[in-house]
Amino acid sequence: MEMLKLNETPVRTSRNFNINNIKLENVDLPNEVQEFSNLVIKNENKDIKIDFEKDEIFLKYGVGDILLENSKKLSNKNLKVTIDSKQKREVFLDFSLDEKNNNLIENIEIIANQNSKATIYLKYESKIKSFHNGILKILAKESSELNIVIVNLVSLDTNNFISIDSEVLDNAKLNFTIVDFGGKASITNLYSNITGKEAENNINTIYLGKENQLIDINYIGELRGEKSNINIEVQGALKDNAKKHFKGTIDFKKGCKKAKGNENEFCMLLSDTAKSLALPMLLCSEEDVDGNHSSAAGKIGQKELFYIMSRGFNHKEAMKLIVRANFNNIIETIENIEIKNRIAYEIDNRLD
Amino acid sequence: MKKTNIDEINRNIYDIKNKDSYDFKSQKGLNKEIIEDISKQKGDPDWMREFRLKALEIYNKLELPTWGPDISELNMDDISIYVKPKSKLNSSWEDVPEDIKKTFDNLGIPEAEKKSLAGVGAQYDSEVVYHSMKEDLIKQGVIYTDMETAVREYPEIVKKYFMKCVPVYDHKFVALHGAVWSGGSFVYVPKGVKVDIPLQSYFRLNSPESGQFEHTLIIVDEGASLHFIEGCSAPKYNKVNLHAGCVELYVKENAYLRYSTIENWSKNMLNLNTKKAIVEKGGQIDWVTGSFGSKISMLYPMSILNGEGAKTEFTGISFAGKGQNLDNGFKVIHNAPNTSSVVNAKSISKNGGKCTYRSLVRINEEAKNSKSSVSCESLMLDDISVSDTIPTNDIRNDDVEFSHEAKIGKISDKTIFYLMSRGMSEEDAKAMIVRGFAYPISKELPVEYAVEMNNLINLELEGAIG
Repeated sequence: MEMLKLNETPVRTSRNFNINNIKLENVDLPNEVQEFSNLVIKNENKDIKIDFEKDEIFLKYGVGDILLENSKKLSNKNLKVTIDSKQKREVFLDFSLDEKNNNLIENIEIIANQNSKATIYLKYESKIKSFHNGILKILAKESSELNIVIVNLVSLDTNNFISIDSEVLDNAKLNFTIVDFGGKASITNLYSNITGKEAENNINTIYLGKENQLIDINYIGELRGEKSNINIEVQGALKDNAKKHFKGTIDFKKGCKKAKGNENEFCMLLSDTAKSLALPMLLCSEEDVDGNHSSAAGKIGQKELFYIMSRGFNHKEAMKLIVRANFNNIIETIENIEIKNRIAYEIDNRLD
Repeated sequence: MKKTNIDEINRNIYDIKNKDSYDFKSQKGLNKEIIEDISKQKGDPDWMREFRLKALEIYNKLELPTWGPDISELNMDDISIYVKPKSKLNSSWEDVPEDIKKTFDNLGIPEAEKKSLAGVGAQYDSEVVYHSMKEDLIKQGVIYTDMETAVREYPEIVKKYFMKCVPVYDHKFVALHGAVWSGGSFVYVPKGVKVDIPLQSYFRLNSPESGQFEHTLIIVDEGASLHFIEGCSAPKYNKVNLHAGCVELYVKENAYLRYSTIENWSKNMLNLNTKKAIVEKGGQIDWVTGSFGSKISMLYPMSILNGEGAKTEFTGISFAGKGQNLDNGFKVIHNAPNTSSVVNAKSISKNGGKCTYRSLVRINEEAKNSKSSVSCESLMLDDISVSDTIPTNDIRNDDVEFSHEAKIGKISDKTIFYLMSRGMSEEDAKAMIVRGFAYPISKELPVEYAVEMNNLINLELEGAIG
């Protein structure tokens, strides 16, 4: 079986650092798939239209060419979501992978038209070994406000690939909240082309790795618009032998005067065999910008743990409380109570 | 805002060229015959000749890096890898030939030796032409000599340490260095000896279309301490020159080494240098680096903290002007418990120059209770320059405290306004801010070198901001 080289960084560094890409062995890419029938759509909005159609896919980056080809040939669920709602509306897309629907290769295109507002929830769930290769194209037009919430709860023997390509136009605001809990290997590539004047892009991610999970995150934000803004906040925890690669690039392109970019990544290591690899990059070709990044890793603070345990909690409960507290700022960006509760349940469950 | 740009700054003393006169200059290119010829010229022992040939084989097998600046303009067929100056090794400046002595006089080396150094080595092209050390250090058993003398007189020590810290297969230019190295310094500080005044080696490349491949090997034995300063410069020529030196530092138990570098190669130089230190239990290596010259630089000093409680600090600044691409940084590997590293890196880009900070912090499984703190700041002085930060953080155990932060941006308008409200001109205000930005690095240098660094900053800034 061939070795897949995926999720390349936009700028390479030394090969010995083992972070330019991720190499995966034993990935079974399906050769044929059936129509995916386990999608539940909840959309009660007349001004949000969902069509089942597929346009030509173009990705500047993406997880890898082989997965793009796989999607072009075999995609078994295609959706085009067009948003015109002027009031904030919610749409739920729940994908459940099961025995009959164990391969999901979906293409989703989301267009937020001028001045529109919406929150789109995408939930992926499976209890069996399955395969997921998702492609998400997003366009946030002028003055739109679009929230995308992605919740990955696939099984720990599923390979999970997500490629996201987005563009943010003048005064538009595009917010991602990504909950990355599932997958044997969970590989995410998110590219944001922030072209608009005063356009804003926020990416908030929590991940939780256990057993032998491999989480590979590659976020690339290119700032082109004047006074544009990107904020990347990634909070994670790793237990057992889990391993995480975080690659975050904020690229100030020429012309993005007075743009701001902030990137913060923090990884809690819950076992001495968990591993955290991070490459937070700042690339800058414009003078009048403000860019910051910070990255930290370490175990849970012993003082905090001791304090909580002195209040009668056992070690595990105290640890769960601290992890949830660290994740809380990001979880609070999700408005839907049901999804929030489900995430809280999953954190408890996965830390048991 | 109006900007005044000067195309080429006056590098005054650094750009003085001597006539390209030599005793021997190898033919351009790189092959077995040339290596054997150099080895014969240098009177290498058999083991060193064989080492060179083996390194050449490795060089031919290794690929160029697939990352970093484009170095495709480097053609080894255009480079003379060995230029033997018309001078033997001297221990008195009076014996150094006049034109070479004048060069080092202009650079202030003999003067610095009198005032503030315990020993000096001076290399001109491929060979060391002057080496001297204070009598009291000789009495204490300190060895400070050129590498060729060390190979002859201390073969067992050299065999034990030479290219063991930086293995010859590390990367292509290390292999090249292994094949063609010439000159450099050897320092041994015996157990418990504290060398309070710095030693300095200065490397000058005068010959056009040539390379300098000096090897620096320093062993600071248990409980000893040393401050070593390395300076380098060359006049500018139209075609590329190559510098692929190698620095190997061994810091034994509870020893301390400070390694300071003021790099001011000419802006036609490809500086592909490799520096590594192995630090044992309780030892400490501190790096202080000012990087101003070179057309392209790829330089990432590395500390390998092998002993419990070993420490390292890196304090560095890069200043890239027109036509320069300085890809510098730092690497640290924590291999033992209770180790710590502190990194403070700064860069300034102007006139279309590109600065990249590239780094690795790796805290391995065994390095329990280790700490690492990294801070890098980049200052952009105009909108045609580029500044990138590419740090890799690899944490492999849970009992660590690791943090990394980076900032990028221009000089704050508020700060300029504040200084101007106190009566300064805008240019003076900006120059003061840049000097203040560089201060954490310059304050780590001995005062003469801090002055030199500030002069270099002033030279680089002249007319470039506004």
